[in-house]
Amino acid sequence: MNKLTSAVFGLASRSSSSGRASGGWALLAVIAAETALFAAVAPGFFTLGNFFEMTRFSVELGLLAVALTPVMIAGGIDLSVGSMMGLAAVCFGAAYRTWHLPLPIAALCALLAGCAGGGLNALLIARLELPALIVTLGTFSLFRGIAEGVTEGAVNYTGFPSRFLFLGQGYLGGVIPAQLPVFVAIAAAYFVLLHRSVIGRALYAIGFTARGARYAAIPVARRVGLVYVLSGLAASVAAIIYVSHLGQARSDAGTGYELDAITAVVLGGTSVFGGRGTLRGTLLGLCALAVLQTGLHLAAWPSELTGILTGVLLLATIAADRHIRVRAGARPIEEEFEVKNTQVAVLCAAILTGSIIVAGTNIWLLRGVTTASRLSDGPPAPAAAHRTVIAMMPKAKGDPYFVSCRAGAEEAARELDVELLWDGPTGLDAAKQNELVENWITRKVDAIAVAVENRAGISTVLRKARERGIRVLTWDADAEPDARDFFVNQATAEGIADALTDEAARLLNGKGEFAIITGALSAANQNEWIAFIRKRLQDKHNGLKLVTIRPSDDDRDKAFAETQTLLKVYPSVKLMMAISAPAVPGAAEAVRQAGRKDVNVIGLSLPNINKPYVRDGVVQTVVLWNTRDLGYLAVYASVLASQHKLDAGARELQAGRLGHIDVRGSEIVLGAPMLFNRANIERFDF
Amino acid sequence: MAVAGAIAALGIVLAVVAPGYFSAENLRDLFLANLPVLLVAIGMTLVIVAGEIDISVGSVFAICAVAAGVLAKAGMPVWLAGAAACLLGALFGSINGALVAYAGIPSIVVTLATMVALRDGLRWTTEGAWVQDLPRAFQWLGLTQAEYPFVAASLTAVLTIAFAWGLRHVAAGRAVYATGSNQDAARLAGLDTAAVKCAVFAIIGTLTGLAAVLNAVRFNQIPSNAGIGLEMKVIASVVVGGASVAGGRGGVPGTVLGVILLAAIGPALTFLGISAHWERAIQGAIILVAIAAEGMRLSVGGRALAPVKTAQA
Repeated sequence: MNKLTSAVFGLASRSSSSGRASGGWALLAVIAAETALFAAVAPGFFTLGNFFEMTRFSVELGLLAVALTPVMIAGGIDLSVGSMMGLAAVCFGAAYRTWHLPLPIAALCALLAGCAGGGLNALLIARLELPALIVTLGTFSLFRGIAEGVTEGAVNYTGFPSRFLFLGQGYLGGVIPAQLPVFVAIAAAYFVLLHRSVIGRALYAIGFTARGARYAAIPVARRVGLVYVLSGLAASVAAIIYVSHLGQARSDAGTGYELDAITAVVLGGTSVFGGRGTLRGTLLGLCALAVLQTGLHLAAWPSELTGILTGVLLLATIAADRHIRVRAGARPIEEEFEVKNTQVAVLCAAILTGSIIVAGTNIWLLRGVTTASRLSDGPPAPAAAHRTVIAMMPKAKGDPYFVSCRAGAEEAARELDVELLWDGPTGLDAAKQNELVENWITRKVDAIAVAVENRAGISTVLRKARERGIRVLTWDADAEPDARDFFVNQATAEGIADALTDEAARLLNGKGEFAIITGALSAANQNEWIAFIRKRLQDKHNGLKLVTIRPSDDDRDKAFAETQTLLKVYPSVKLMMAISAPAVPGAAEAVRQAGRKDVNVIGLSLPNINKPYVRDGVVQTVVLWNTRDLGYLAVYASVLASQHKLDAGARELQAGRLGHIDVRGSEIVLGAPMLFNRANIERFDF
Repeated sequence: MAVAGAIAALGIVLAVVAPGYFSAENLRDLFLANLPVLLVAIGMTLVIVAGEIDISVGSVFAICAVAAGVLAKAGMPVWLAGAAACLLGALFGSINGALVAYAGIPSIVVTLATMVALRDGLRWTTEGAWVQDLPRAFQWLGLTQAEYPFVAASLTAVLTIAFAWGLRHVAAGRAVYATGSNQDAARLAGLDTAAVKCAVFAIIGTLTGLAAVLNAVRFNQIPSNAGIGLEMKVIASVVVGGASVAGGRGGVPGTVLGVILLAAIGPALTFLGISAHWERAIQGAIILVAIAAEGMRLSVGGRALAPVKTAQA
């Protein structure tokens, strides 16, 4: 989070008398330690630009966290904020793109949706006095469900005007992210509400004891209702900013944000039992999380450490805070928290130490560079000690598909002796992809190769990388053509769809019913394949009928259960087409356990996890390209591009063991998709 | 009870529109698919009655399944590997419990921390790879596919009845209600409330481990990303089943009904031919209606007695 903002709030809350913050000492120390550590080890971390970039990533999450603070202070919780973001984003997109309303009216629609959603929570929690956890658990499903139902999971609203995208992607005065003022204004409004108004005072009283508050003549239901409506409203503002940040509105906006926001609030010392906490604490909590995450990316440490360290941080901070509180004596409610001079001193000292380290390393670096250049003045100029750094991003890190790509990428990196940074979101997450690319720009890598999750959303940041002289490639899925130098294309969506449909037609002899098990309903890739599959059916295979499409959420067990149900509901289905890697073995196991030898299973998946089923004849065909070669080729192309041995207009390239690879326009083509079946599957290991 | 009513209504609609839903085969498949949710939900009932919450179960579930697979692959007999996985679950549960009971950190914070830490820890070690090439005896615990459901069903029935009865009629069970109703009063009455809290977390850990094993043995390979979102399903089932998240109220029979309702909806929509896109919205709406109906019934019956519990989550 922005240092300035938190400092301002820190000073302001000095005279605040409502409630007490905590986590102050511990959290300040943590932030200082993090900053010092990453300033020392992560290139580009300790720069002004990076601090502003960090605030940009934190705005949406920050809005949710800020709105959750009064909710939790009043003793409640709101798990529906992430889903509310999805619903508001869809409302906004539909209003603008489908109903062709002007932007401000569309934004108003989204805000109204937020109010309505918050209002529903408020009605159930404040009026009907139902427990907040259960109500918002219900609306958590409801809001996301409505968003998915309305868009059928597949509609992706794009094509927003650039003046709107500026809100999420542009800079004020060249450095300040455009959405930051919005966040500061809302945080300030919340600060006034919580710490400077009678209402805020009432919220603390309610959180401490709702019954006592009622006897003290506080309109409990109205006050509690208000914070939930506001939380819905804040979520819809976050949704609008999210849309302008990514340039797309889809039903999966904000998935999982609720837990991150709660983490920030709790880390900031707000009690989950209510009655205790401050906005300043929440902002510090956000700051600690943002620094940790960005620092890990810049230092190129595995991003799985984020979760582990967040967990440790939560436990350590809350335990330390509690320890300090207990030692300070039992002054549970009226105790004041102040930013003590000693604390400010510690923080300043830490920042100073950090900057000295940075300055030191810079001087050392500079000296290194000047020595090198002095050396290179001599006739036999030795290559600069700089080792090429290739940053490569999968769509999702844990996905077996990308794990096997990585093996090939590392093989190529070893052959070429370059440094390979392999990092990506742990689940499909377009926002996280943008964040990583920003971090890599800050780190000044030589080339970036991205498997794009969201075409419209990532292109802006990729263009920025190109402007900074970084070579940009895409692989697996493309960005906008002008946002990258080359696209390493394994197979087109149409090619995949055609291969799958033709294979289905072959197995069913051109006639019969089949069902599709997809990944998540909102997965862009799968939806594109399904569209092409439908087209191919219409054009070439009229005898085939697609009876239904069921989601597996990329979960083997869910694919299994869905297939079991499908087999019973549609006994005439003779072929299951699973188009998500874990879904194929899931569907296959269901068919095997049902003993339905008449049902074929085909799909898009990896050979290894399907070998047992292909061997037994349950799965007939797995369609895929050689993923190992894809990773290998992507690294080769990146390295050649970064050394300017592969420039626009090239017709072919030499990629190590793959030999000659054709370049068509700006697309580097790996080859046609492969069909793995009983005859050849044992030869592949990935 | 509103939940029983909702189940009955759903059942009648299904019986008329899609009688195939009640085939023995479908009911068996539904039971096996939701067995993990049921077992973890029983543990969660204890935790919630004790006034706490555990959102780390999904991560523990994934780790226990992978651990059972790795041990079985290393040559350990399947039942021993399963027992070891349960023990591992108990260990994670006890860590949660100790942090809650003895370090005094709120359970939602503790389990939020262990949830993210364990999930990312597992991702880091497995790098997304599945456990493959398991010994043949792993699937179905060395039994046949036809025998296994009976073994799983009897085990689950015994556990469910034991917990349902024990929670009501055994001193240790009553101690859970006492702790959840009023921790200070329970302590002053001579109960070791910290031990009670630690114990309920150990129990949910063990049950999660057992659930992971019983789920894993239905397949011949184990994915490393199982159990994502399990905590939400389980908590929803328990609270729909009438447990109060403020502690002190709830029971295993209610939880069983909650699990049945939520487990029945998903496939029911497929049977009724409703598009998958509306499934989540309908699930959310049913949860809200069920708890709103329950809430109104309670508030009509006992408003004078019930303390103001506004927004006390």
